[in-house]
Amino acid sequence: MRSHQLMKLMIGFYIVLFFGYLFGPLIIMSVTAFNSSDFPRVTPWDCFTLEWFPELRRDRFLVEGFQNSLIIGVGVVLLATPMGLAGALFLTQLGRRARSTFYTVMISPILVPGVVLGISTIIFWRRLGEMAGVSGEQNILYDGIFMTILGQSTFISAFTMLVFIARLQRFDPALEEAALDLGATKPQAFRKVLVPFLKPAIASAAVLAFLASFENYNTTVFTILQDKTLTTVLASKVRYGIDPSISALAVLIVALTLVGAFVYEVLRRREEREAQEIEARARAAERLDLQEAATGEGPEAAPAPAAPTPSGGRGGFRLEAHHLAILLALVAVAGIARLMLSDDVYTADACKEQIRFEKLERQQELMERQRQLMQERLQQQQQEQPQQSAPRGDDYRSIFDPGNLQGAEPRVDEPEAAPAPESDAGPGGAQDYPSIFAPQNLLGIEPRVDEPQSAPQEPEDAPPKDYQSIFDPNALQPAPQGQ
Amino acid sequence: MALTGWLKSFLGKNGLLVGLYILIAVAVWIVLLIVLPQLFMLDFSFRYNLPPGQVGGPQDVYTLSNYKYLVFGSPGNQAAYNWIDLSVFGQTILAAIFVTLIDLALCYPIAYYLAHVAKGATGRLLVLSLIIPYWVNEILRAFAFRIIFGASGVINNALIYIGVIDQPIDFIREDVALYTGLSYAYILLMIFPIYNAVESLDRNQVEAARDMGASWLRIHWRIVIPYAKPGIASGCTMVFMLTAGALAAPQILGGPSSLWFTQLIVQWFNTGGNWPRGSAYAIALLIACVAFVLFMMRIFKIRVGEIGR
Repeated sequence: MRSHQLMKLMIGFYIVLFFGYLFGPLIIMSVTAFNSSDFPRVTPWDCFTLEWFPELRRDRFLVEGFQNSLIIGVGVVLLATPMGLAGALFLTQLGRRARSTFYTVMISPILVPGVVLGISTIIFWRRLGEMAGVSGEQNILYDGIFMTILGQSTFISAFTMLVFIARLQRFDPALEEAALDLGATKPQAFRKVLVPFLKPAIASAAVLAFLASFENYNTTVFTILQDKTLTTVLASKVRYGIDPSISALAVLIVALTLVGAFVYEVLRRREEREAQEIEARARAAERLDLQEAATGEGPEAAPAPAAPTPSGGRGGFRLEAHHLAILLALVAVAGIARLMLSDDVYTADACKEQIRFEKLERQQELMERQRQLMQERLQQQQQEQPQQSAPRGDDYRSIFDPGNLQGAEPRVDEPEAAPAPESDAGPGGAQDYPSIFAPQNLLGIEPRVDEPQSAPQEPEDAPPKDYQSIFDPNALQPAPQGQ
Repeated sequence: MALTGWLKSFLGKNGLLVGLYILIAVAVWIVLLIVLPQLFMLDFSFRYNLPPGQVGGPQDVYTLSNYKYLVFGSPGNQAAYNWIDLSVFGQTILAAIFVTLIDLALCYPIAYYLAHVAKGATGRLLVLSLIIPYWVNEILRAFAFRIIFGASGVINNALIYIGVIDQPIDFIREDVALYTGLSYAYILLMIFPIYNAVESLDRNQVEAARDMGASWLRIHWRIVIPYAKPGIASGCTMVFMLTAGALAAPQILGGPSSLWFTQLIVQWFNTGGNWPRGSAYAIALLIACVAFVLFMMRIFKIRVGEIGR
């Protein structure tokens, strides 16, 4: 029993880990969009800001790419949905062997690397123009957006086809036959029976096609030629320097994706539920028939109401899910529009000012402390060697030690005022940022590493110990003082 | 004759209008979008890289030089083979296999869990939440990993904070970021086929095996995995093909020393300006991937028709 529970615990842990892997990156990326730091990061957190969102609109390439992506997405939906449908209808009417062959051909674009699809598309259309005696530039078909629509449709049609095939498997051909028997022409039967049956599949195929087109990169990067789409602009932005406006874009895309996925899922659910209802109704009817046949009498009234109840009960929920989806989509779109279209967003100016001020203050504080430490040290040295070398050492020191430029006066005037050195304030300590401003640090690093060597190398006649201890940050610690 | 007869019956069954729509759409798709472009690319890969004026001229003849270049390098090459490109090629294939195996190991337990353990609302929610990351742009997924694995990224900061390391680790140079990003990118293409295959497994088989005293490992090895083989195969095929053909993740997450074969192809098309050679490289990649997949399916005795979603 205990091992069983341990196992359960481990499985739960693995599930959490797995979904953490799936969502962690997206969440972290989204969070960085709200940090005012110039580099996309979570820690250290500066200020909450929305300033990166209007930034996107000012990026001309991004806007242009976005527009192209929309055009291409619509084009792909208009091309890939009918092609996928035709492919699915075509396959259902073939014999077993022909179907398997055609299925393999039509599915293959999913497995072919997107790069290959893109390359073959541009080569084909350029060569076609050349064969007709038109060179690359004058060829109207050799156009970025046109070829991107075609190149993407090559494999997106396979996606949509799979959606339609799944739906068509549930189609009852008797419905169409009935329509034809009742005097419908074939186009009428297609329009009035098959298309309404396929409507949810058409909707989800269209959403699928648009999303797939919108996020495609591998094929697009070739077929788009000199133009830009959102993904190609994004890729070049990410590759050549990243800033949080990309995260902001990511937040928008993730939000839109969530809405899209939700709508898609609602549509798919509805389709499934309808299919289940149809099945349940058919089964109920069958049972009814069987019973009628068995008893030779009317039904016992029990199975008859069983059919409508589930459909009625689910109808209410379905309406709700729809409304929720629409509401969510509207809210998301309105929120994004608000962020994108107005410059008047929360930019956390006060907070950023505060952070800048704090940084400055901390920096000054550290500089001040260092200066004081140095004075302290100098005084100690002076006390240790009061007679022999003090004057010369002083001269020497004041040339090389820039700290003396500022520190000269206080050293004379207020020797007692210098506070005791704090142990955590060593120049080489954790606060590397402010210590840049303390010039003695630059010099101080070397002697600390190899003290014995550096001392004899100095040709000056100043006492080595004295000299060293100025630049040596270790002198702050009590240990060297004892020497 | 048989074709015209079939055509007549097809049009008769669907009606002229609908029948023509189906035939034309399918013909456009298969001929104009799938077959002809591939054939043109194949043809193009056997040609010299000529300036536009000479295309179709007397010098526009077939050649194997582009493929020879991939194998032997330029004619003035000292080494016997074009080791640079060939090693990139080999590395890409090996890395794709590696990523496929990682994904398989990661996804099999999840797929089994979703199909047989998690039931009802929880299961549905988990399945739905699997789909969402898949719809986020490929570039942005890679970008997210750059934020996480960067020198001042979340992981480095966390490790420094805990005190495990004091210098940031260069995950990008070590290709950790690349492999993590690639495994992430196609993880869902591995889960769903396995999920679909495992889901239809009769639970009683597992129960029976357990009653007879089979260990947990043995149940999976002898019952679940053989049953889910088609799903595992199609998941592996898709992940392998897409990883080998990936472009965005290697471009964004790849270290300075690691090059993906697709990046070489892009170079021939963009900066290299040698389209026929780029086509030859693309064909080589395509053929190698397809051959590898067919070979593996032969070994594991799986038909091509079973691949798909």
